[in-house]
Amino acid sequence: MSAVYARRAVVNIVALALSGLATLIGLVFLVWILWITAQNGLEALKPTLFTKITAYADQGGLANAMVGSLIMDLMALLICAPIGVLAGTYLAEYASGSRLGASIRFLNDILLSAPSIVLGLFVYVIVVIPTTELTDGRITFSGFAGSVALALIGLPVIVRTTDEMLQLVPGTLREAALSLGIPQWKLTMQVLMRAALSGILTGVLLALARLAGETAPLLFTAFGNNFMTAHPLDKMASMPVTIYQYTNDPNPALHAIAWAGALLITLFVLALSLLTRIMFSRKKVSYE
Amino acid sequence: MNDLAAASAAALTGASAPAKLKVRDVHFYYNGYQALKGINMDIPEKQVTAIIGPSGCGKSTLLRIFNRIYAIYPKLEAKGSIELDGENILDPAYSMNRLRTKVGMVFQKPVPFPMTIFENVAYGIRHHEKLSRADMEIRVEQALRSAALWDEVKDKLKQSALGLSGGQQQRLCIARGIALRPEVLLLDEPTSALDPIATGRIEQLVEELKHEYTIVIVTHNMQQAARVSDRTAFMYMGDLIEFDNTEKIFTKPGKKQTEDYITGRFG
Amino acid sequence: MSALSAEPIPRDTEHRSRTDARHDLIFRLALRFCALLVLAALLGAALSTLWGGRDVLFHDGLHFLLSSDWNPVENQFGALAPIVGTLVTSLIALILAVPVSFGIALFLTEIAPRWMRGPVGAAIELLAAIPSIIYGMWGLFVFVPFMSTYVEPWLSDYFGDASPSGGVQAVRLVIGTLILLIPTLPMFYGALHRWLHGMALTATALVLAISLSGALSYVLMFSVLPNLFNGPPLGLGLLTAGIVLAVMILPFISSVMREVFQTVPARLKESSYALGSTTWEVVWDIVLPYTRSAVIGGIFLGLGRALGETMAVTFVLGNSYNLTASLLMPGTSISSSIANEFNEAVGLHRSALIALGFLLFVVTFIVLLIARLMLRQLARKEGR
Repeated sequence: MSAVYARRAVVNIVALALSGLATLIGLVFLVWILWITAQNGLEALKPTLFTKITAYADQGGLANAMVGSLIMDLMALLICAPIGVLAGTYLAEYASGSRLGASIRFLNDILLSAPSIVLGLFVYVIVVIPTTELTDGRITFSGFAGSVALALIGLPVIVRTTDEMLQLVPGTLREAALSLGIPQWKLTMQVLMRAALSGILTGVLLALARLAGETAPLLFTAFGNNFMTAHPLDKMASMPVTIYQYTNDPNPALHAIAWAGALLITLFVLALSLLTRIMFSRKKVSYE
Repeated sequence: MNDLAAASAAALTGASAPAKLKVRDVHFYYNGYQALKGINMDIPEKQVTAIIGPSGCGKSTLLRIFNRIYAIYPKLEAKGSIELDGENILDPAYSMNRLRTKVGMVFQKPVPFPMTIFENVAYGIRHHEKLSRADMEIRVEQALRSAALWDEVKDKLKQSALGLSGGQQQRLCIARGIALRPEVLLLDEPTSALDPIATGRIEQLVEELKHEYTIVIVTHNMQQAARVSDRTAFMYMGDLIEFDNTEKIFTKPGKKQTEDYITGRFG
Repeated sequence: MSALSAEPIPRDTEHRSRTDARHDLIFRLALRFCALLVLAALLGAALSTLWGGRDVLFHDGLHFLLSSDWNPVENQFGALAPIVGTLVTSLIALILAVPVSFGIALFLTEIAPRWMRGPVGAAIELLAAIPSIIYGMWGLFVFVPFMSTYVEPWLSDYFGDASPSGGVQAVRLVIGTLILLIPTLPMFYGALHRWLHGMALTATALVLAISLSGALSYVLMFSVLPNLFNGPPLGLGLLTAGIVLAVMILPFISSVMREVFQTVPARLKESSYALGSTTWEVVWDIVLPYTRSAVIGGIFLGLGRALGETMAVTFVLGNSYNLTASLLMPGTSISSSIANEFNEAVGLHRSALIALGFLLFVVTFIVLLIARLMLRQLARKEGR
């Protein structure tokens, strides 16, 4: 009998130790990646990164890529935030129990993890090809096309958080407004959205964190540009694509700039995801 | 059946006040499950009518038919008729806006809107009427005064209503309801989430409001029904068992089930 | 008070009702339109890549899927190499990430002290927040050299050689047998339990298990592994890409597992503990069976991520269309072929790359569909 106990105890201890080891492995990779990025990035960080453009190559900086990323990220949010919030509202407020709502919610979850490079191809086919043909090749790749591709990355994130946040708003709030004769649209836009505002904003920030680091969908939509531009119909540089190009280049001086860019983008994305984590844990809904 | 219903309703009416709401043979179904089994009662004007009964007896369900708030959920169905000043409010042609400006409701848990105190009261008015800023301020003040809240909030009208105490929030909800100047006020266990002091204030308020409004209050607290109401209805398992003057219900109830409930033998 | 009971307020409630109803209708239609855009995005992605890749998909058809001859100069487009590369790297990623994710989830739900769970869980989830381009850079500049200096020489020395000297041969065989005994011994022990008792049982099970695992070990050591770990330690290649992918999908799988492990009713676990079960037994016999479908769903979710990942693997795969059995050799994947070649491609080449995109979309869609369906089963069980 005691042999059985001993065997079970040994199995248990081995299993628990291995699980601790697994956690350690995960943490080691996290620290390793962040450490390498910080080390190489800090070494290469210098003021010209923010003032010079990529046209000067290893004598230059990332100014045009930063501006391009900023413009495209914001345009992407402008596209996907309203659509995503409204779509999420539809799921939470109008589609409970309906088959259409259930299938949209289900497919939205799939879009959430769909390969981003295919979304880039999608935008290439529906935006880049038509603009090229309509303008005889004057407008091909563009910041706008890049924004549309990024918006497709952010959309499902916003849909999902809005849906979840509105479902947390107590039903009595709906009853209270309706019992005053307030119509559903006013109730939704002015009462429920206000109640779930911080949660919905968290979703938008989460979407920004996701799309800001994306490279693949920009490769053949926004392409890249060695010069500064703010025109949405120009080819546009972005941080991730510039990092990608510089990493592929044999010149080590460009690798250094790429590391500096990698550090900046990692800091931005990690800061955003920490912020959203704090917002989430504080209050799910500004109610209760 | 109809004659019988009319006869029993007449018997239940009493002579003290004209009927504001005439409930006739109301049945209610949840997903096909029958929750109300033919309710007949006349709610007297400008009096407080309390509905009591064990939980699940249908008292809240009945109240929620009076302003058709149940209709926002699918698969719920009410049959029969409820006449408000002679018009059947269950008739789909009776517009929801008209009904809800005439019949206000206050819920179990205080649910202020996520807005300022002032906006909470003004919000409903603004949807139905175009008022100048000055007129609106007068209306809001009147409503807050009637809800006995004005003195406590007059200096912080621009602050969020979510910062008020539970009792204050519930009085704000009452103010919000009466700001539309309804004729009937429905209170669904309005003090169940409040402490005894806040409860006392609400009960006092109900006492004052009944001079202006027809009030129906659902409560699981028998003492509260005895304290605030003029007439009391006892419901059990979807049936209206007895409806009479409050004093009579609590001193010499006519039905055995009522007596058992009043004396705490079940529920 | 009396001010309230003033004359009735003139309100045109009928007009109000009509406009409200109209606005409500418009609002609802606008919301539904936005929700339908989500469907349109998915459908559009499928249809547009199908359309963009039509020249290759409809004309070459099976040849596109089955040929490994990818030659843009001669307009030959056989996609077998990227398809195999995608599947192999994702498979490696799963083999590595699933046990580690399970360990992390187990540690964070059952073992770690409470104060540790939040921060450590958050740290693991940060792995998912790091942009994939960063994984790619770290992979290329740090992990590839690490693999080529430390890991791959060792792998090819110990496993890559098909005919080593007698001593090495024996050591490999014994180690392989011992490792394989771990699964085979309990298997035979359980199967024989009803037939035999006492010493006879142990001895027979041991003999059977040793012979089976010995045979397996022989095959593995002298024909499977030498092929898998054959070649120069370049660092670049399928194995490295698979490991990077494993790190990337780890947070996704472990967070699903963690979440579903927490849904197991406490009374189930408590009643098992009350019978004297160890933590491991509770997890293996109660928690895992209860959450099985969702755990599989989480694994498929990770697989979907791995299949579609681009930037992390593009740098470390080596971009080679040569199909070899060795995991140490460079390869390519669907997404990295698209990323590497799309902007230089014209005509049929471009069409072939879009067709690859279509293929990738369909495969990941199916995988993710299975994942979500499996995850939903647990939600149903909970009555959500």
